[in-house]
Amino acid sequence: MTIETKPLALTVNGRPVGPVDVPEGLMMQDFLHEYLNLTGSRMGCGQGICHACTVIVENEDGALREMRTCITGAHWFAGKKIVTIEGHADHDAKGELVGLSPVQQAFIEHFAFQCGYCTPGFVTGATVLLDQLKRKPVARAELEQVVTDALDKHICRCTGYVRYHIAVRDLILATPGLVSG
Amino acid sequence: MGAGISRRGFLRGGAAAGVALNVSFLPPAAHSRLIETPPRPGPDWLTPAGKPRYRLDAIAKVTGAKTFARDYRAADLPGWPQEQSHAFLIHATKADRSFQGIDLAVLGEALKPDRVVLHEDLVADGIRTPHPDFFGDVFLVPKGETPRLLGQPVALLIYRDFARYDAAKRRIRFDDSVVRYGAQTPYNQPPHYGASRYVRVDGGSPEAEDRYSPFKDTAIFGKFSGDKVVWPDAGEGDAMARGMAAAAEIERGIAAAGSDALVLKRSYFSQSIDASAMEADNGNVWYDATIGVLRIMAASQSPYEVAEVSAELVSKSKFPLKEVDLKVGYTVGYGTKDHYIFPFFCVLAGLYGDGRPVRLANDRFEQFQTGLKRHAFWMDNTLVVDRDTGKFRIMTGHFRTDGGGRANYSFSVSFVGATAAQSIYYLPQSDFSAAAFASRAVEAGSTRGYGTLQSMSATEMMVDEAAELLGIDPIELRLRNVFRSGMKNTQGAIPAGALRNEEILRKARAHPLWSQRAQTKAAFETANPGKKYGVGYGHVQKDYGTGAEAALASLEFDPQGRIGFRHVAHEMGPGVTTSQAIMVGEILGRVPDETEYGVVRWPQMPLETTDEPYTLSQEEEDRRKLNPRWTPRITSPMSATNSVYYLGHATREAARILVDLALWPAARSLWSRGVGGGALAPYDVRRQDLRLAGGMINAGGMPPLAFEAVAAEAHRLGLPSGVTVHTFNRWQWTEAEFDVPDRGRLRLSVDALALRYGEGASEERKRSMTTGGWHFLERAAVFYPPAQRNNAGVTYYAPMATLAEVSVDIGSGTVTLLSHHSILECGRQVVPELVSGQIQGGIAMGIGHALKEYLPLYEDGPGDGTWNWNRYELPRAKDVALWSQTAEVLPPLSESDPPKGIAEVVMIAVVPAIANAVTHAIGKRFYDLPITPEKIREALS
Repeated sequence: MTIETKPLALTVNGRPVGPVDVPEGLMMQDFLHEYLNLTGSRMGCGQGICHACTVIVENEDGALREMRTCITGAHWFAGKKIVTIEGHADHDAKGELVGLSPVQQAFIEHFAFQCGYCTPGFVTGATVLLDQLKRKPVARAELEQVVTDALDKHICRCTGYVRYHIAVRDLILATPGLVSG
Repeated sequence: MGAGISRRGFLRGGAAAGVALNVSFLPPAAHSRLIETPPRPGPDWLTPAGKPRYRLDAIAKVTGAKTFARDYRAADLPGWPQEQSHAFLIHATKADRSFQGIDLAVLGEALKPDRVVLHEDLVADGIRTPHPDFFGDVFLVPKGETPRLLGQPVALLIYRDFARYDAAKRRIRFDDSVVRYGAQTPYNQPPHYGASRYVRVDGGSPEAEDRYSPFKDTAIFGKFSGDKVVWPDAGEGDAMARGMAAAAEIERGIAAAGSDALVLKRSYFSQSIDASAMEADNGNVWYDATIGVLRIMAASQSPYEVAEVSAELVSKSKFPLKEVDLKVGYTVGYGTKDHYIFPFFCVLAGLYGDGRPVRLANDRFEQFQTGLKRHAFWMDNTLVVDRDTGKFRIMTGHFRTDGGGRANYSFSVSFVGATAAQSIYYLPQSDFSAAAFASRAVEAGSTRGYGTLQSMSATEMMVDEAAELLGIDPIELRLRNVFRSGMKNTQGAIPAGALRNEEILRKARAHPLWSQRAQTKAAFETANPGKKYGVGYGHVQKDYGTGAEAALASLEFDPQGRIGFRHVAHEMGPGVTTSQAIMVGEILGRVPDETEYGVVRWPQMPLETTDEPYTLSQEEEDRRKLNPRWTPRITSPMSATNSVYYLGHATREAARILVDLALWPAARSLWSRGVGGGALAPYDVRRQDLRLAGGMINAGGMPPLAFEAVAAEAHRLGLPSGVTVHTFNRWQWTEAEFDVPDRGRLRLSVDALALRYGEGASEERKRSMTTGGWHFLERAAVFYPPAQRNNAGVTYYAPMATLAEVSVDIGSGTVTLLSHHSILECGRQVVPELVSGQIQGGIAMGIGHALKEYLPLYEDGPGDGTWNWNRYELPRAKDVALWSQTAEVLPPLSESDPPKGIAEVVMIAVVPAIANAVTHAIGKRFYDLPITPEKIREALS
């Protein structure tokens, strides 16, 4: 092995990871897939176009940020707290699923996805949108536009997007404090 | 190639003798149960009415569990090593120079691969491409030869660790110095793939016997002389000669058309596109030479073919082989992972993995470079219309399609396009031909629409123009020519069931988007200077299935009434696992408690097949079918929109037989208890009174019975408690007669049947269950649809119409979809949410084809390895009129309507609808897709 590496430590889904030696040029997507066996953040384009690979970064102030892992090096995430798609639902001590996140629940009840390859990115994007609306609610009249502006960067080839966006709109309407006026 | 071919009908499975094939859909021991998703399907996923709250696979998918083939590494697969290697392919980007070798100096020592595989290695080891007439004659370009196609792999590089693999792959990407080329040469494409022609002349009316048709006579096959198609000579001899004479008569009719007819001749082009399934092609293969076992984990829509062809490939090489073990995860391909070559490159990687599993997974650049494409079509159409009546007299279409450098399904895509070209119209005389040409382009193959998007879009654009030239409302012109129930298609066959296109047309004509389009246009353009407004209509009917649809399904219940359901189907995204379970519930009144999909082991069905369903002669089939275990095909790929109707037929038949043989007699037994025949005797209760719903069984005023009670009684009586069926369809269902114990001879819509008897069955009955624990009933007689049915082309159609409302910015040429409304007829909807999702998703894909997606075929095209979604624009949420789109589904004629396959048709109508809308907006017609802003600006300049 002659690849230049350096140690990486971060928090993934509430658990500390590392330090582990990681090649300097490795993309975060490949770190998640090949080093942590977290394959839910999907390789779509490798160019930052489709957003199937996104994860949540929790900022110091608690605000959530959506990051593309296919074009962001693993070491950029050093010391950060991230949530991958595998970290959204609640699991018990044995690892059994005990509850979905509100966004996940909304998506399954709306039959939002088909093949489901892009679903992790949509869950991530919608979760970040809800977090933003908690801080800055949206006027009802602007809601649909805000949802579509937020999720437009996520590419889906099966669904035509309709059920994803309606699910998020309906979830926002059903969640107190996200809509003003 | 003779008559008797049909869609996707060329590849015959050629299992290697003596090699055990084991296909499985990821065992439950893997990290996530794929087919039976957690939490276990149970009451929580169903409403009290028995409708699904969510898809069976919903939770696994929404939580990011390992579901796709791409998600799996060796360490995730039971019994595989923890460590694995990774591989990638180097591709040729020139097809006009000889390949001279590769130069890996750019990698240096640090990134030098652990193994390089070249064509010459494959030759030395006895590896040849299986089915070269389908997959091409070489995997890797031989040194000194010119690549067959752009993007053809030249070398396979294997690394034992991911880090160096990843760094090397990024270093080599876009580097033109790695592949060394020699002198310029002519192109080295394979021979052209096939030409066929469908000629029909009716007998004076739709009802009269045709004077000539493919169904009555034959399809006509052409040969190639260079790049020219040579058709048989016209004459009075054999059927093809007579067909050419009929074609000549049609040509004379066109030439002789007088001033009372509109003769419209137009040429259309439909572009090559990339299906852009989000999961790129991938596989992971572990070959253990010490025991001769090849383990494959691959993304495939046709897993049985992958297993069989892999066995054939390896068994002819120096690598010993005793067993192929294929595991399949979820995947998505829109047809492009059906019978494609990529899994066999994965097998090569595994063979040279030095005993370690090797993963070969395309990135998006590689996927564009090698993934199957939708065919480009060039179409020369002629339509002759009576000016007085607006009736179509003649339509002809002569199509050329570019299949690229491997044959794949190009020939059948071309003729499926030709046989669909009539769209929703009755044509008294028609002549459609299609020729599939080879080229240096990236290979095209099975892709959603399968040639019909191209041909039907052209027809719909043409009819719109004809209406304008005739001064007839476009929907009125369609109504005058609409294909009605009982009429014959351009192959001369009468389609199944009711055709409801007229109903759809009348609804569309009454829709405000259409009826008020003139007023809306005036108001919009007044309010929006610089923008033009238009509404367009498109209406198509698309076949579903392949003409050789086979399936297996099994249902059984235990004495406690728990229902188990097993099926060959596996999930591609549209929701087959959900809808099949719901179909069981519709018939049994309860959805299964346990489901297993992707089942490959059917020990109770010892069937044998020649798997030549399209080419077997009638005489040969008549001989073969005397063997009660023979069937034309065991099972079909998950493709061709075949799940709800064809695969569902096996589900429905198994359920119906279980009702007839077990639940009805068991319920009667319970109702008959007591003196004088119990509660049943005074009433006149018949089989048709039986109702199964909500877990209860009712009939004619009898006391409702819980399913569990009836199941227990069926077991006590020793009635059949399990039914396994095999079904086969050749544009018509096969039926067979079986001598069912205690019931006598029954004629069923299946060709093989096995029963399992309840716990109370007699010892004699139990002794009959010797075939995998079941009683396989050898059929007494079988009635396969005649081989001539292959020439019907298709008989199952589903229609869809779309009204598209657009604005066109006359400065930028940008088309904005303001709204759209669609009308679909799909028989009885099984899960309306899934149907609605299909409509929405299909329309988005059609929007991409109409307005955005485009690939150059040759040197600047995807074969150069630089294409990705940055320059290949896919439709996004803002492109699809997300919040303003609407759709309606015609209610079924009755609750007994069958469900129809719709996954392809929903994509197509919006394409011509948009083209016609743009014309309505700016008064210019477009004949080449996609309609880009540049083309609009040019048209307006």
